[in-house]
Amino acid sequence: MDPKPPKIAIRFLTFFLKKELREEVLGDLEEQFYASVKTHTAFKAKLKYWFQVLNYLRPFAIKNFKSPEIYPAMFSHNIKISYRTLIRNKFFSLINIGGLALGMTVTIFIALWIYDEYSYNTNHRHYDRIVQVMRKDISDNGIQVSSSQTGGLGVELEEKFPHYFEHVAMTFYRPAPQLLLFDDKHYREMGYFFQKDIPHILTLNMQKGTRSVLENPGSIIISESLAGKLFNEENPMGRTISLNSSADLIIQGVFEDLPENSTFGDADFFGSMALLYNEDRPYVWNNYNMKVFALLNENADPEAASLAIKDVLKPYRDGDDNPRELFLLPMKDWHFYATNQLGEQVTSKLVQFIRLYGAIGIFILLIACINFMNLNTSRFQTRGKEVGIRKAIGSLRSEVVGQYLTESFLYAFGALIISLSLVYFLLPLFNSFTAKEISFQWRNPAFWLISFGFSSIVALLAGSYPALFLSSFRPVQALKGRLRQGKKNERLRQGLVVFQFAISIVLIIGTITINEQIQHAKNRSTGYQKEGLITMTGSQSVYQNFDVLKSELKNTGAVEEVALSNYPLTNTLGNNGGFRLSGSSDEIPITFNTIYVSPEYGKVTKFELIAGRDFSRDLEAESANIILSESAIQAMGLENPIGKQLSSSSERNGHTTFTIIGVVKDMIKGSPFEEPMPLMLFSTTDPMSHMFLRVNPEVSLGIVLSKIEEVFEEVVPEHPFEYAFADDQYLTKFKAEEQTGTLATLFSGLAILISCLGLFGLSAFMVAQRVKEIGIRKALGASVTNLWILLSKDFGILITLACLVSMPIASYMMNIWLQDYEYRIQIYWWIYATGAFACLLVTMLTVSYHSIKASMANPVDSLKTE
Amino acid sequence: MKETKLGDFEETLLLIVGILEDEAYAFKIAEEFENQLNRSVSIGAVHSTLSRLGDKGFLISEMGKPTAERGGRRKRIYEITGAGQRALKDSRDIKLSLWSQFPAFADLKFNVG
Repeated sequence: MDPKPPKIAIRFLTFFLKKELREEVLGDLEEQFYASVKTHTAFKAKLKYWFQVLNYLRPFAIKNFKSPEIYPAMFSHNIKISYRTLIRNKFFSLINIGGLALGMTVTIFIALWIYDEYSYNTNHRHYDRIVQVMRKDISDNGIQVSSSQTGGLGVELEEKFPHYFEHVAMTFYRPAPQLLLFDDKHYREMGYFFQKDIPHILTLNMQKGTRSVLENPGSIIISESLAGKLFNEENPMGRTISLNSSADLIIQGVFEDLPENSTFGDADFFGSMALLYNEDRPYVWNNYNMKVFALLNENADPEAASLAIKDVLKPYRDGDDNPRELFLLPMKDWHFYATNQLGEQVTSKLVQFIRLYGAIGIFILLIACINFMNLNTSRFQTRGKEVGIRKAIGSLRSEVVGQYLTESFLYAFGALIISLSLVYFLLPLFNSFTAKEISFQWRNPAFWLISFGFSSIVALLAGSYPALFLSSFRPVQALKGRLRQGKKNERLRQGLVVFQFAISIVLIIGTITINEQIQHAKNRSTGYQKEGLITMTGSQSVYQNFDVLKSELKNTGAVEEVALSNYPLTNTLGNNGGFRLSGSSDEIPITFNTIYVSPEYGKVTKFELIAGRDFSRDLEAESANIILSESAIQAMGLENPIGKQLSSSSERNGHTTFTIIGVVKDMIKGSPFEEPMPLMLFSTTDPMSHMFLRVNPEVSLGIVLSKIEEVFEEVVPEHPFEYAFADDQYLTKFKAEEQTGTLATLFSGLAILISCLGLFGLSAFMVAQRVKEIGIRKALGASVTNLWILLSKDFGILITLACLVSMPIASYMMNIWLQDYEYRIQIYWWIYATGAFACLLVTMLTVSYHSIKASMANPVDSLKTE
Repeated sequence: MKETKLGDFEETLLLIVGILEDEAYAFKIAEEFENQLNRSVSIGAVHSTLSRLGDKGFLISEMGKPTAERGGRRKRIYEITGAGQRALKDSRDIKLSLWSQFPAFADLKFNVG
């Protein structure tokens, strides 16, 4: 076979070459090709042909690819026509722009929230150099990562690794709000007691004083907002405030408040750690009660530093076999850090939330875009004539596309403006709801860039399909009114509707599941009566006057009983292991929630004894007795627990062997979504920091509170009267889940609303198209019901299809979500049924409005025009 | 204002167009260029320059007859205009005058007709 010039090269050449040059150039090249075939191989000739083709990529030979120029007049014409269309079809425009605006509002809120999460801590100037020292415990049960450190570590790191660390500062592992006394007024404020260098590490912006004042243990620096609260306009420098009625501190600095979205954002003051501990006390190696933060040197390699400190703890841990390694966690990871049982970094719950909501935002926007597409393409017949005339007069296809894109850009930017103002007005609400301080990024150019960029994408996404579809009409057919939409287009539109509703149904099913799960946990029996129970924290003055306080409180008749404990009722702090059953040498492999309680604890909390007895007032007799919870008994596998003995590896109440005298139902003190923690109660009459008051149910709460306050004023006037209700405290455990639930409700509501908006418009259009058919059918005797079924049937099928598609997806996703909860519901079939039915009902109502209206209309009205 | 200067490559091509007479079309010009100057050149480069010379008014062109070896396509035949000849002549005169002033070559004889 004779070689021929390469086809692709020819096609490429004709693609870019000016039409008028085509003949001569193709001729020249072909002549040359056959000439070179005679002297060279066919391959070389082809290669040469390609070379020649590529050498025609010169300005003089290339087609004019520029789209028809945008004349300002044409542009303003496009805008004018778009505006007229918008005004003429108020109903469609409202649905289009309203839906888009709603979708955008949701997306902007979600985007602002995600931005806020990712800018966590970025306010610190040395953001990339601040690290926290973490430790890894490697044992047979897996690797546990923790941030608690020994006090000796901070000193050691600073002394031995000055080439890595510029500053090291320790603070207490569990910071708590402190009681500040100034001018006879009490303030409970959050603050941190650090070693002296913390202002340098965090680069606090000092309004007054310097970053070095914490070198003096008697000084304190306070936030600008606290300074305002305490001193108004007065100068706080050099003033004295009292801490916990035990130490007087001199204010030597005021720092600018740290933003809410930072680790120390809640700090109202920083004090010196040396103040709370004797000089030598923190520098121990067996008590993990500190957190260690550091600032790396400017040139230090974080990874090298992390490796260098890995084995620092080794020499200080005799006889402990399990390896315990240190590593550095850079500040950028603090907020999102989570590890699995192998100690590997995993996707944290927060990141999962961010992804989930990000996806929801995009889906909602997509639903709104689909509305736009469907509503525009479905109006093809009315717009078809317009396209026909334009083309007949001489419009190019690109100009028709330009017209429709202008329209969609106009709509998108209109929607953007509406949604920006919505965001502006709803932001305070959103903030109070998410407990954040997200600000509108007015001054952030990136915000505007992204807003407009995103709107342009939306405009293109929503406008390109209608533009291409409408501009493809042939003018003759369009003008004759013989436009028929292809099956393909109709299918696509139906597919999009199914997609919209599938998303909506997934969201609805998700919402129902989440809310069911929360309700399920709320209805869980807690094992104690949290209603009518007041909790308080004690102070030195309370301890000293406790007996008087207690009898005075009971004398009022408002309080039935008062009890004490060393830990609150609504958490599981105080964890200990190392117990053995008497007669056995094996340690019980579980950790107990061990708390000390006063003998009245049972009476006050009303825990439910299921065997044995409660503690008596006789401390001497009870000091070696314990009460266990049901799950603790089960975990140990005891048949008849009463009278059995346990021994402890450490001494408690002066004993190491304890007798079980009672078993109580499990008390849900920790997370209501988890298995209960095995509980072990010891009896003591020592003063303890948590106080519980059982209120007399026959006295109204207002009177109870005022009576209690009177007693406190009288007996311990220096103690602030602060209280909380146990049931309120318990409810805070649901906060995160309830937030998820409310957000899910909101989002799925919006999704279904926007979907229905679209369907509403679509059905209006469908009905309008068939109005003559309806008239004839009615004239021939069809009933309203017949017509309603005829008109609604198609939509019903689509929604049913959406249900079928969405259920497996919803089931899969909700199963994953529920896996995180130990105490969880089963996903029942009725949840799906409710979701699907709700969706079907809403859509049928939406669709029926127009179909029933049309069916009820007098056929004369629709038929008289012809 | 039209550009009327002649570049070196332009001048050579213009001369070749003159040499080839009726056969002066892009492919043949490129071939002749390669044969005479021993330098390879792409047809596109030649074509581009020819069209520029046409813009300057040194060349006119018209479509010639179709031939079989080029798939029955016509070719564009170029012809030098009066302006083109004048430009060539000017260019030669300037060069000759420069050559004659160059002392090292002063005694060389030029066979100029």
